[in-house]
Formats: sequence, structure tokens, C-alpha cells
Amino acid sequence: MSREVNFEKKIKRRALILGLSKTFFTFLVFGKLFYLQILQKSKYGKLSDTNRIKLKIVYPERGIIFDLYDKPIASNRIDYQLSIFKDKKNLVYDYVKKLRGHINFSEMDLESIKSNSNEQDLSDFITIKRNLSWNELEFFEFMKNKFPFLIITKEKVRNYENDLIFSHVLGYVGFKKNVTKKKLSNLKVGIAGVEKKLDSKLLGKDGWIKFETDSKGAVKKELNKKYAVPGGNIKTNLISEIQNKASEEMRGIRGAVVMINCQNGGVNCLYSSPSFNNNEFSDGVSLKKWNKLLADEFNPLLNRCIAGLYSPGSTYKLVTALHAIENQKFNKNKKFLCSGHVSFGNRKFHCWKKEGHGYVNLHEAIEKSCDCYFYNLAKTVNIDDLAKFSNLFSYGQRTGIDIPNELKGIMPDRKWKIKNRNEKWQKGETLNTVIGQGFMLSTPLQITLMTARIATGKKIIPTIITNKKEFENLNISNENLEFIKSSMFSVVNSSTGTAFNSKLRGNYKMAGKTGTSQVRRISLEEREDGVIKNEELNYKLRDHSIFTCFAPFDKPKYSLSVIAEHMGSGSKVAAPIAKRIMELALNKY
Amino acid sequence: MTEIIIKLKNLNWLFIFLVSFLSFVGLVMIYSATFGEESKIFISHIYKVTFGFILMILVSLIDVEFWKKNAYLFYFIGIVLLLWVTFYGYLGKGARRWINFYGLNFQPSEIMKIFLIISLAKFFDEKKFQESRDYFFLFLPILIVTIPFLLVLIQPDLGTAMLILFVSIVIFFVSGINWKFFALSGLLSLIVTPYLWGGLKEYQKQRILTLFNPENDPLGSGYHIIQSQIAIGSGGTFGKGWTKGTQSHLDFLPEKHTDFIFSMLGEEFGFLGTLSVIGLICLITYITYHITSSFIHNNFNRIVGYGIITNFFFASLINMSMVIGILPIVGLPLPLVSYGGSSMLTYFIGFGIILSLDRGSNYS
Repeated sequence: MSREVNFEKKIKRRALILGLSKTFFTFLVFGKLFYLQILQKSKYGKLSDTNRIKLKIVYPERGIIFDLYDKPIASNRIDYQLSIFKDKKNLVYDYVKKLRGHINFSEMDLESIKSNSNEQDLSDFITIKRNLSWNELEFFEFMKNKFPFLIITKEKVRNYENDLIFSHVLGYVGFKKNVTKKKLSNLKVGIAGVEKKLDSKLLGKDGWIKFETDSKGAVKKELNKKYAVPGGNIKTNLISEIQNKASEEMRGIRGAVVMINCQNGGVNCLYSSPSFNNNEFSDGVSLKKWNKLLADEFNPLLNRCIAGLYSPGSTYKLVTALHAIENQKFNKNKKFLCSGHVSFGNRKFHCWKKEGHGYVNLHEAIEKSCDCYFYNLAKTVNIDDLAKFSNLFSYGQRTGIDIPNELKGIMPDRKWKIKNRNEKWQKGETLNTVIGQGFMLSTPLQITLMTARIATGKKIIPTIITNKKEFENLNISNENLEFIKSSMFSVVNSSTGTAFNSKLRGNYKMAGKTGTSQVRRISLEEREDGVIKNEELNYKLRDHSIFTCFAPFDKPKYSLSVIAEHMGSGSKVAAPIAKRIMELALNKY
Repeated sequence: MTEIIIKLKNLNWLFIFLVSFLSFVGLVMIYSATFGEESKIFISHIYKVTFGFILMILVSLIDVEFWKKNAYLFYFIGIVLLLWVTFYGYLGKGARRWINFYGLNFQPSEIMKIFLIISLAKFFDEKKFQESRDYFFLFLPILIVTIPFLLVLIQPDLGTAMLILFVSIVIFFVSGINWKFFALSGLLSLIVTPYLWGGLKEYQKQRILTLFNPENDPLGSGYHIIQSQIAIGSGGTFGKGWTKGTQSHLDFLPEKHTDFIFSMLGEEFGFLGTLSVIGLICLITYITYHITSSFIHNNFNRIVGYGIITNFFFASLINMSMVIGILPIVGLPLPLVSYGGSSMLTYFIGFGIILSLDRGSNYS
């Protein structure tokens, strides 16, 4: 009996042990569930979101750039792009291999796939191909079931209405270079020109789309999105038709055309020749092409209007003459004899006209561009005073135009000489300077600005972006300005003027000044043998042809300069081009 | 006829309600799991639950004596089926587990657990060996366990095999044999384990190893555990809502209608959901304990009761431990909740036997 009782006790004890071990097990599971679901809820909640939510950055549409008459000159086009899930980037080369027969992957595309897949940006997608053609799109639509981790997105990318004519002034867009850890690896920013200067305004603000995807990476639905804010639009003073005309006129000629509105400083035309295709640049130019452009001896990437340095040549005589009558009480009726050369020290200074101009006064000297007159005038000129006066016309200074990379040129004076050449100023150098040769260097924009300031007597500042501005006076007597202007009038309208051939047809009158920018120094021996005609010279040694002008004469509206490299005298090439552009501007606008 | 009505009246309807409620949870979860996909699975599950429920009631009407009398016969049938499956079984997921029976796939290892329990109960009931210290006497019950254990193991179905072993040990324990037997067995298994480990398939080894460090191999075997934990953890207190689970519906969670259904429940119904299901399981277990403990002098009834409920309880808790990362993923369904006919029918039969035990008990 006691055995029976013992057994009963044993059975009960064992049932209890079993029950307790089950209770213990239950609490173990309960504890782990409590840990997962209560204590670590936020951690696992986030993990589940990263599992399913994929972020696609939506790049903002760049602001549109308009010309003065509201014609878009830089807008955006739709670009279909192919992207892959970042999680599946190891598949990318396999996919490229499979798609290759139907979608064209250039070497550049492959390069960018490589660099893109190493980016640590916010997006969960990697762009593998831009600029999909319609055929490629159609093919992909048909085949997309076989490529579950690829998506097609519609992006807006920069597009310029004309490949060539605005390239220098507007610049182009591209990826930021040498930036590690980019937040937005596909964001294009302004690299040059207006695009660079006003990048922050044009850029806009990026948005995003959150997609819900399943474990295979297939997009199930769009969860939510933040729209991208498009960049601000910009209105410029450029006139498409003038710009276009300039590019036509400059076909086959290297040089620059700059036109400024004398009333508000608006830059109506800023064309540098030769140009480059900024659409190509914005889509991403290959290294090969880039190197080719860099190596091009005509330097198409240089914006000659603001960074091309030329001797202003005879156009600078306007400033010399104005300086003499304004600051030196020089009698403008004083005549000097031009016999073809002037001796100074032990050097002979030659007039461009070998046989000389005879007796001329200041007006005639400007009209006929007599060098000897100015050599004689130069004998009384203090170079430091002239340099200071020239600053009023922006020589030796940046004009402050609203695009980057402007050069200031050289306005030499005693200090400059010591600093840069480590030599004292020679009086003979003043003789070269007064006719815009020697050390002096200026940009086409500076020359145009000089003309605009003479034409108006105001300190005009050139701007590409429209803004209304009052300009301060130059504080030069009206009488003296009128004298210079009337001399410029004669240059174009007097039969003896150097640019008489470029007189405007019709009612408008134009005033201007020719110039020839010497590329080489003519040696004494050469003078004795007879100066070699430009046409016989090696192209690169030929003079630059310069012409600067304003019109209408009585109420100046446009100031225009044309520089044609290595094309000889100003009257021959630059002036006729300026005439045609000015006629168009006056008749149409 | 009136006899049947009286029998029905005397059934433990609270118990039936709890079991049905657990099946209902299964229905709800399987609806969600197959929501938006094919409804075939859900419909088939409804049929199986209904059939299982009827089967449970039918079994509950059979007196326990029937099982006691035919225990060894059933055991024999079970072994034959297992042998059949070993050689002619339908191959799925790298294992021979199923018999195709007129288009229905049937897994004999499930029903074998019931047959094993009643056979062991019968053995320990007839031989009052607990008074004897003759271990040789234990040779037969060990053989009864070893044959199905090995047959299931080589399918291979590690989960079910381990459960068979575990339930058998519990039966040995509650039958009251001397504790020295367990000490000796423990020692023996320590010696045998390395050989067993060598006999495991590579994927089974991997599963066990990844348990200890799932992050080690996030896209391999550890992936399931990580995704399952994310599903459960992200459910939080109240869950993401029925059919709103992102882990499950976006296919991050594997096998969501079978082995990982508890993870989905955790994701969609949160801590409250998982707690309720554990509560339900504990309640069912507790009631069975109550019924069973009344059979102090009926070894067969007592052992059958403990055996069946232990099978149910541990299958449930092991499944949960698997999906929350306490135990390795061995492939065990959650009783009555997971999709899968053989397992569910077996549990319904088991509960039917418990109901029949309840009818005969002097408690209530």
C-alpha cells in the first residue's frame, strides 16, 4: 500500500516537474516576444521599412533662361533614363550584357555606371543609361518582365535651343567634380557662364518618391512623394537674333562680337568664335572629345568676349584724345604734321600710312586714325594720369559683368612696369600706349564698354541678367564728349573716314572707330624693306581687325564691337560685320 | 442514438470552443497570408478545418478502450506507412515525407506520433515495470520509439523526428521509471550525438549553426530568422493590422502560411496577438492537465493525455521559438494554425481522444 502511495506521489511530482518546465518554456518565449515587440519595436520597425521602402531622388527642373524678348534659350527636355536598384547592383553588368544588343551602352555610359555604383548618395537607385531613344524605350517596355530590378524614369535635363551660339555666355551644366560623398550624385550644376553664376537660382530643390517594393525588388506602389521645386527662370538681355547674326557673320573667323545697350547696360550680344556645342557638354562630353577641344589651337572653349586679350589698337585713341582735351587742356585745333613717322629718342615711330597724312588736327587724326598725331600728343602725356583716366572706361579693370572668369587685361603704368617687368617706364612706351599697342591688353567687352561710356557719358555696367539700374556720370564735360563723338561720326560718315565703307544704309547714323591690333612688332629692317603686306604673312602673325561703334548717333542705343583675329585692318573686316549687325539691331529692335 | 446524444452532451464544450478558436485564428491568418493571391489555399484550409472538427467530435465519441485495444495494430500500420513513404514517398523540398493518396498528400509521420503515444501508453500500462529495476525490460519501449524516429529522421524531417524523441522521453518520464534511466540515457546520447551530427544533411547543420549567429549569413539560412524577427518586432504592441503586414505581404517573410505563420501573426496583431495565442495554447494545455491528472490509477489514460498534450504544447512552443530565434529552424508547423492537412488532422484526432478521456474522467 505504501508503495502505491509512493508511486502516486512520484507521478504527481513528475507531472508537476513537466508542468513547471512547460511554464518555464512559455516564459522564455514570452520574454523573447516582449523583447522583440515591445523593447525593440522601433529598431525592427525601421528595419521593416528599409526592407520595403525604396527612395528615388527626383531631380528638380532647372530654371529656364529667356532672351530679352522672352524667347527661351535654355530650357529642358525629357530624358528617359534606366536605373537599377542599388541592392541589386551586382547584377548590373549581367544586365548590360543582356541588353547590349538592343540598348546602346557607350564607353561613357559604362564609365558612369562604374562611378555611379560607388556613390554613397541617398537614392536607392543607380542610373545606368541616360538618353534612351524611342526604340530603346519600346524594346525595354516589351522586355521589362525579364529585368525586374530595372526601372525607367522620366527626368528633365538641360537643353539649349541652339547648340552653338550661346555656349560661351550661358555656359553649360555638368556633374560636380571631385566631391566625395555626394548627397545627390545625379544633380547637374552650372559649370560655366550664366549657368554657373546663377546656379543657386536656376537649380531648384530636389524632391523624392518613396516606392514600396517586395523582397524581389519589384515596385508594388508609390507610397508618397515630395515634388521637386523647379529652379527659378531667368530673363537675360541677350537677343537671340543678334546673337545668331553674330555667329553667322563670324563663321570661319575667330574673334568676338559684343553688343551692349547704352541705356541700361544690358548685354544684347556676347558671341565668341569659334564656339562649342554646350548640349554635348551638358549631356557629358567624353574625355577624348574634351582633350581634343583643349588641344585645339583656336581654343574654342575660351570666351574671347571677356577673357580674350587683344591690344585695343587705334580704338584706344578715343581715350587718349579725350584725356588730352579733358585733363591736359590740349587744344583740339592744334595741327601736327604727319610725314609717315615720328622720331622720338633714337627710335622712329611709324604711322600706318607710310606716306603720311600731312597736317591734321585732332578731329582728323581720329577720323583718319593718324598715328603720328598721337605720337606727338603723347610727348606731353603722363602715363600714370592716362592709366587712371582709362580706368573710367574699364581698361585694366574688370567690368563687373555677371558671368564668371572675366579678365581685366593690362593698363600699363609706371607701377605696373616695375612690378611686372622690373624696369623703369620708358617715355617711348607712352607713344605705343596712346595708340593702344605695346603692353596694353583689353577684352572686347572693355572696348565695347568704352564706346558705350563715351556715347552716354555714364558709367555703364554691363549685365546679362535684366535689371534696371541708374548709372553715375563719368564727370567728363559734355563738350569734350561731343567732340570725340563727332570725330567718331566722321570715321564712319566722312568720305575720308577709315570706316566710310561701313556707313549705315537708311536713316540711322552710326559713329565708330577702327582699330588694328598688332600681333608682332615690326622691325626696323622690315620697315626699310617695306612692310610686308598682311596677306603675305603667316596667318598667326597677321593683325587683328577691330571695330567699335555706337548708333544711332543722336540718341545712342547700341554700342557694338567686333574683333576678327588675324584679319588685318579694322576697316576691312570688323567694320562691315559691325555695320550689318548694327543695321539688323536698329531696324528690328 | 440517445446514447450518442448523451455522449455529445457530456463533451467538454469549453475545450472544444478553445480548440475551435485556435483553428479560427489559423483561418484568419491563412486568409491574410493568401490574400490577394490565389484563394485555393484558403478554401482548402476551410475544408480541412471542417473535416478536422468533425473528426475530433467523432473520435471523442469513441471510448478510450478502443485505442488501448488496438494500439499495437495502429502502430504497425503507422510503421508500414512510414516504410512506404521512405521508398515510394512523394518528394518535396528535398525530403520524402508525403504519400499521394487519391490526389491528397498525406504525411504519415504526423499520425505516427499519436500511434506511438498510445502504444507506449499501452506498454507502460500493462507492464508494471516501475516497480522493477530491470532496465532490460525497457528494451521494447525503446525499440518502439527508435523505429519511427529513425524512419522520420531519414526522410529527412528533423523537426518531427526530434518531437517524436522529445514526446517519448516525456512519456518515459511521466510513466514513473527510475530517474537513473534518464541519467544513463543522457550519458549515452552525449556519446552518440557526434555520430548523429555527422549523419545530418548539410542544410540541417547550417540551420542549427545559423541559430547562434543569424547575422553571419544574412542572405543564406540566417535570412529567414532575421526577416521573421523583423516581422514580429515591427508589429509592436498592436500590430500593423490584419492583411497589412508588409514583411509578409511583400514576401520578405518566407513560408508565411506554414512554418512562419506565427511571425505574420506577430506582425499583423502585435504583442497582444502573440500573447493571446500563447494564452490560448496554455489554457488548452492546462485543461488537459486537469483532465489527465484525475487518472492517478489509470496509467494508459494518464500517459495518453500527457503524451498528446505534450506533443501539442511543445510543437507550438518550438515553432514559436524557431521563428523568434530561440531554436533552430527545423520545419515544424504551428498546430491548428499553420496550413497543412496531416498535421492539423492529427491534432484534431489527438484532441478528440482527450475529449473522450474527459468523458470518462470523474472530474467535472
